[in-house]
Amino acid sequence: DRQTLVAVLQFLRRSNLRESEEILRREARLLGDELGNAALSPAGPLGAPGADGDHASGEALLSRVAAAAPIAIGGSVAAVASSSPGVTAVTALPPGKGVVVEDQPDVSAVLSAYNQQGDPTLYEEYYSGLKHFIECSLDCHRAELSQLFYPLFVHMYLELVYNQHESEAKSFFERFHGDQECYYQDDLRVLSSLTKKEHMKGNETMLDFRTSKFVLRISRDSYQLLKRHLQEKQNNQIWNIVQEHLYIDIFDGMPRSKQQIDAMVGSLAGEAKREANKAKVFFGLLKEPEFDVPLDDEDEEGENEEGKPKKKKPKKDSVGSKSKKQDPNAPPQNRIPLPELKDSDKLDKVMNMKEAARRVRLGPECLPSICFYTFLNAYQGLTAVDITDDSSMIVGGFADSTVRVWSVTPKKLRSVKTAADLSLIDKESDDVLERIMDEKTASELKILYGHSGPVYGTSFSPDRNYLLSCSEDGTVRLWSLQTFTCLVGYKGHNYPVWDTQFSPYGYYFVSGGHDRVARLWATDHYQPLRIFAGHLADVTCTRFHPNSNYIATGSADRTIRLWDVLNGNCVRIFTGHKGPIHSLAFSPNGRFLATGATDGRVLLWDIGHGLMVGELKGHTDTIYALRFSRDGEILASGSMDNTVRLWDAVKAFEDLETDDFTTATGHINLPENSQDLLLGTYMTKSTPVVHLHFTRRNLLLAAGAYSSQ
Amino acid sequence: MEPAKMASPKSAPKDAQVMAQILKDMGITEYEPRVINQMLEFAYRYVTTILEDAKIYSSHAKKSSVDADDVRLAIQCRTDQSFTSPPPRDFLLDIARQKNQTPLPLIKPYSGPRLPPDRYCLTAPNYRLKSLQKKVSSTAGRITVPRLSVGAVSSRPSTPTLGAPSAQTVSVSAKVGTPVSLSGQRFTVQIPSSQATVKSATPTTPTVQNVLINPSLIGPKNILITTNMVSSQSTANEANPLKRKHEDDDDYDNL
Repeated sequence: DRQTLVAVLQFLRRSNLRESEEILRREARLLGDELGNAALSPAGPLGAPGADGDHASGEALLSRVAAAAPIAIGGSVAAVASSSPGVTAVTALPPGKGVVVEDQPDVSAVLSAYNQQGDPTLYEEYYSGLKHFIECSLDCHRAELSQLFYPLFVHMYLELVYNQHESEAKSFFERFHGDQECYYQDDLRVLSSLTKKEHMKGNETMLDFRTSKFVLRISRDSYQLLKRHLQEKQNNQIWNIVQEHLYIDIFDGMPRSKQQIDAMVGSLAGEAKREANKAKVFFGLLKEPEFDVPLDDEDEEGENEEGKPKKKKPKKDSVGSKSKKQDPNAPPQNRIPLPELKDSDKLDKVMNMKEAARRVRLGPECLPSICFYTFLNAYQGLTAVDITDDSSMIVGGFADSTVRVWSVTPKKLRSVKTAADLSLIDKESDDVLERIMDEKTASELKILYGHSGPVYGTSFSPDRNYLLSCSEDGTVRLWSLQTFTCLVGYKGHNYPVWDTQFSPYGYYFVSGGHDRVARLWATDHYQPLRIFAGHLADVTCTRFHPNSNYIATGSADRTIRLWDVLNGNCVRIFTGHKGPIHSLAFSPNGRFLATGATDGRVLLWDIGHGLMVGELKGHTDTIYALRFSRDGEILASGSMDNTVRLWDAVKAFEDLETDDFTTATGHINLPENSQDLLLGTYMTKSTPVVHLHFTRRNLLLAAGAYSSQ
Repeated sequence: MEPAKMASPKSAPKDAQVMAQILKDMGITEYEPRVINQMLEFAYRYVTTILEDAKIYSSHAKKSSVDADDVRLAIQCRTDQSFTSPPPRDFLLDIARQKNQTPLPLIKPYSGPRLPPDRYCLTAPNYRLKSLQKKVSSTAGRITVPRLSVGAVSSRPSTPTLGAPSAQTVSVSAKVGTPVSLSGQRFTVQIPSSQATVKSATPTTPTVQNVLINPSLIGPKNILITTNMVSSQSTANEANPLKRKHEDDDDYDNL
């Protein structure tokens, strides 16, 4: 923060505000230690004289700044708060393009939060003036310029509230909140309850909104028009506000239509900047190891250990040997360390391949059968469900903080014998794995106690040895499925954890919660390995990419971000949903992502290009479950409206316009083909669908709790 | 649950009406009726806490009466204590940057179950949850009276073969018959309880209805007392028609 003060002093000097600079120097020296002429005391208040509110706010600011690490301040240090309305406010420097990287802790942004532009009583004039201008502009520009309304409205309102002009804020809100788009209504309702500065203190989302720049994408022509209008003398104030709170990403080309814009907006931070989606993403799959598979079609027994000579000749596994060359889109095998393949994993893979051979090929003519598991008597306490990959066990997380595991097959759940009994068995026998199991404990249901709050997420490990559960008590627990006891409690989030998932290769898992970050853990580290911070609101859904190198997080700020596991960078930001995201699904080939939110739409994204490629309308309520079939031909979606819908994924991803123009400008033209892609709608008897799972043979399993209304 | 019925304006006290109006203003349209009571209780408790704190501060400052500054100070102190909010964004970005700089650790091959050091695991608990299920006496002639127990403790996680209600609720718990001692003490009835059903923390009706019988009424030993177990027995956990219906006999023998 010492550096912050120095930077502010330099800025004041550069802007020829000698008086303010002197006052700041004097007051800083008054309070503080002497640290040489370059450095100043960190406790000096920051503010122009005469502003009574600024002292307290300045100190609060500095204490906050002190908490942050030393930051490099580029050219865009914001102005010092001005005191009287009559004085023209010191304008903020134009946003330094490229200097302020979006995700760096931006102290200047925090400082700018305290700035006050102009006279509070004139805010209504500014806004209505702009409104009039935009409404009178040409049709082609109007849609784009209308994007300005919402962020400007919110920022101006928050500024009035923050600077404690309550009555002006209230009348401002009353007058203009009806003009906003319908998909912002939820936000506006939250805003209407924020009438005092103190209300904002606890609301991290609103604070972040104030300090981050809302991104708008406008064509060059529209931007020129706007700039010319606002830079006229009387509109200088609103130009300052625009510059301070909005980031306008300009592109060359045709202005977008209202429909195109509506598809992409909706998130709390506006759209994504083009360079946010430019990083290379390795969306290909990792190569599967090759090994021999004995060819026995009729044989259902489990004696398929590799290399065991059978009467028929063993056939080489064709999946692994197909692509000898490295897929350019696939990450190198050792990009992130992955656990080695154990013998039991190899056996599992062989089983998987045998099942895959018997898999039903799905398509529009051949729809999957759906088997629905209804949880009865759950009294709306069912909060999470997961099914193992081989569909042998199902776990439910409940609001009474229990985790219950059921065996779906006739084979019961057994726990391992106690140590005393284990020493008695014959370790050399062939069925030692059966002998270690204690028959006395066989049951279909196991209840796991340990959490102290509702369990919001559950995940089986791929080798079926472990189970993860995350809960409102802020911990993620690892349970052993061999002893049915809790092994580890991972503490890190101190707030409810909304979702967790094991990596497809095991060992790593991701969790996301109310503290707006997602964390990557490994089972043998008690602290997270990676922290993915950047979302403006809670992280509600976390999923691994099939190659385990990327993690997708969906959040209540209505964006989906794709993070790189290797270095924690955010490589993609997808905006377009109009409500918090509750379900994510990667396609099996790793190229596409499907997302579902409370707005009832399923959106399809091309990860490589970073574009929205499809929109599936049909559901009328939140979509809590999304799953692609095993070969990616069908996308199944389950929702609170008690239906499961099947969509034709092959057709949806068929012809994509991904030429240079699209990627450069982000113009998307979504075809209105939801009806064509919908293959079937299946209603349940008032049971919202919470989980979907395709078995290895492409039978669709669904789960939900019966709710009697 | 049935959709919430708003308290009729005539009968609800003024505070409740105000609370209902607040909920409506915040856009909450569906809520259970007890929510208003809980909100009122919270409001009352919060305000009294703040005002008590403010009284302490004002007496500490030797003022004659409590004024707005005291209240403001009280609110500020309590906010940091009770209503913590997640860390601010710049702080999170900073710690994320520090954490993400370290490369991912290499994985040692063939190292058995990969768990953190024992200190951070829960693999060595120094307590054991008491199992409430005793040996089943299989003779048909024995009768036992159900035992009312409050705050049922959960059984060991590994063998919850019978319906065990959650620990939070004060509900009567089903005990598979305990040894009968007809010595005037409590008796338990052997109830063929079903397998565990899925239930939530706050059932409005206990899933198992037990009958407490006055010991003095028990005469001969052959009174068979049946209880109503409709809710828990008739439900199956899975609607899978292919699955064999559960047989409870196996579970009994295992106790």
